Amino acid sequence: MNKTVTSVLMVGVGGQGIIRASDILSAVMMEAGFDVKKSEVHGMAQRGGCVSSYVRFGEKVYSPLARKGDVDLLVSFEKLETLRYLDCLKADGEVIVNDEEIYPPSVNLGEEPYPDDAISFIKKFFTDVTVIDATEIALSSGDRRMANTVILGVLSSHLDIDKKVWETVLEKSFPPKLLEGNKQAFERGRGV
Amino acid sequence: MEKKILMGNEAIGRGLVEAGCTLISSYPGTPASEILESAVTFAGEAEDTVRTEWSINEKVAYEIALGHSYTGKRSAVAMKQVGLNVASDPFTRSAYLGVTGGLVVVVADDPGPHSSQTEQDSRAFAQFARIPVFDPSNPAEAKEMVKRAFELSERYEIPVMLRPTTRVCHARQGVTLESVHNLGRTARFKKDSSRWVATPQFLTGLHRGLNDKIDEIARLPEMYPSRISGSGSAARCIVSSGVACANVYEILEDLGLLEEVDLFKVDLPYPLNVDFIEAINAGYDHILVVEETYPVIETQLMNCAARGRISKDVPDYGELTPEVIEKVLKTFLNVAGGTEEDVKEVKGVRPSLCPGCPHRAAFYAISTTFPKGIFPSDIGCYTLGMNFGGVDTCHCMGACISQGAGLYHAYAADGSDYPTIVVTIGDSTFFHAGIPGLINAVFTGARFILVILDNATTAMTGNQPTPQVGVMADGTPGNAVYIPDLVRASGVRFLEERDPYDIDTFTSCLREADRFCRSDEGGVAVIISKHPCIMDRKALEGQKRYRVEVTDECTGCRICIKRFECPSLIFDEEAGKVFVDQNSCIGCGVCEAVCPVGAIVVQETGGGA
Repeated sequence: MNKTVTSVLMVGVGGQGIIRASDILSAVMMEAGFDVKKSEVHGMAQRGGCVSSYVRFGEKVYSPLARKGDVDLLVSFEKLETLRYLDCLKADGEVIVNDEEIYPPSVNLGEEPYPDDAISFIKKFFTDVTVIDATEIALSSGDRRMANTVILGVLSSHLDIDKKVWETVLEKSFPPKLLEGNKQAFERGRGV
Repeated sequence: MEKKILMGNEAIGRGLVEAGCTLISSYPGTPASEILESAVTFAGEAEDTVRTEWSINEKVAYEIALGHSYTGKRSAVAMKQVGLNVASDPFTRSAYLGVTGGLVVVVADDPGPHSSQTEQDSRAFAQFARIPVFDPSNPAEAKEMVKRAFELSERYEIPVMLRPTTRVCHARQGVTLESVHNLGRTARFKKDSSRWVATPQFLTGLHRGLNDKIDEIARLPEMYPSRISGSGSAARCIVSSGVACANVYEILEDLGLLEEVDLFKVDLPYPLNVDFIEAINAGYDHILVVEETYPVIETQLMNCAARGRISKDVPDYGELTPEVIEKVLKTFLNVAGGTEEDVKEVKGVRPSLCPGCPHRAAFYAISTTFPKGIFPSDIGCYTLGMNFGGVDTCHCMGACISQGAGLYHAYAADGSDYPTIVVTIGDSTFFHAGIPGLINAVFTGARFILVILDNATTAMTGNQPTPQVGVMADGTPGNAVYIPDLVRASGVRFLEERDPYDIDTFTSCLREADRFCRSDEGGVAVIISKHPCIMDRKALEGQKRYRVEVTDECTGCRICIKRFECPSLIFDEEAGKVFVDQNSCIGCGVCEAVCPVGAIVVQETGGGA
């Protein structure tokens, strides 16, 4: 609906680096000259809760939240979590899904199954769906914890922002000893 | 001037320092915790000495700020909305007596609520106390309002509240960093017993004085709400404040109705500008008020025809998310259009305690030792013990100890065969509000086991130090106060300290404590469950690590999942067995004791002092 503002929604499970990734995305958009507003909700404990973060950018942004049905890009770090937020997307919205499964307690307890058809379910409703194994790519770059940077790399190829802007922000975001690995992880994600 | 992306709470902390505030006290609580942390970060830029502290509770934090303000220095106190309940006593009286140096009270509300025990509206609390309140709609504005609040506070010698909500506190945007205003004030307390002692004979006068201040503030032209859309002569108007107002504006823009509706943005919801009230009521037949969470502006309009939360045109509970507001606006403005059905809920509620959390071990021992026990608990990460039968009640900070006493007296009156009551409370919560309850329980002869979960931190809100750690908010050393000393001084005669990782020893200690409670000379038995939070990197590196594996002996009974609920123990449906997720497992090895058939095996791999 809103033509001047782009809304990205990043979701997943606590501990996956979602807040950090959305901080970097916000910094990139500000560096690119946009007005940016970001909002985040984290679960009750520090790890393992549902985490979601909206990043909205455009000429002028008023609200930190997007309405249901108004999100341009859903970036999900965990498969099941994607399903919680599908109704937030525009009909022609894009989805980036990390092919990782983190079981909620109820699945472990055997009270309900982990949905085995999540990806095909998403594809039923949306045409532009990118599935990646960010953890695998991060491992090949040296550390599984860089999966969030891989996902940022994938996201960067979906947004029309000069790669130099991303690089500038990445350089500011990581200490020197982690920078090379993260740059590599970003590149590999961008190449997906 | 530098522009930086700041979280709302960081912007508020920055604003306090920029405004020349020299004392900021707080007690951590979502969504307010980062305010003090931000003030600590920026305090170094001030020439004046800026004192920051984590107080043991909000009442104490409020009184420290109040005392500091009496000397003429600018002061601030930050808390979450239910923290104001704890600080309500000094808060309400401070309106009558007023302040000298500006006092800004930051109270973060949590419509929804996302992580609170109520969704109360602190603006309504401000109205009750007759204290002016600002309602920011975004981080940059919150910082600006800190300065306006100080000016108003000093002009009228009255505390002023800043009420951000979660969506302001935890929103981020580019915020301009301005230079710090150094006031260079020295402490000067001017004695005035008719004011600072204010015995009842003076209070009628003080009350009248307070009312006069509020009446004057309600007439300030600079507090007249600004019209941010429409021509000023539209048939319909919307009055809104806070983040709800930002949402209203954006939705009107999307609907192409910015020109058709007069939208008024209220910065100061209480006291609402009286000229505005008159003009709105005279000028519009159709008025909609959109505000969170209680009808504060709406009631002050004193217009039965106005639509809002009282008329239920706006839902009278819950967060005003953009889609809720869209629906409300479409109805008010007679705009057709889909308001889609709510989509089915995805199950699988998270979260659980972290892998390796010492609380899990303590709860496992408690619930398996006393299968018929009653387990009052409290507010913190450990509330998650409810997931696996370790927590039966949670009310408000510190309530568990007194609730435990109340439960005991109810059962004891029926006979001697009372159930074992095991109360659990975190170390920070014990300092906050547990101590009076413990003294009361000992004095009145209650019999229960109190387990103080001492993980050496305030874990849930981001690992702020407790008084026992002996480190203050800015990292400088304080005079540590020890929990065992406090417990002994409260008259407790059974006190033991155990590491819950050693489940066998912990369990025998629980049994011993139960025997003490039921003995002739019994009373409250206290066990300090001592193991640091594993979110503390040093603590994690300092403890022994094990490689944990599940052998083929696993029968798939899921006892380890149901009763112990470690997220690293995962059930493989195909194999019908449990396996260990080595990526999330921290190797605490505690689960070895949980498996009834010995299928969980551990092998030491390092760590430990």
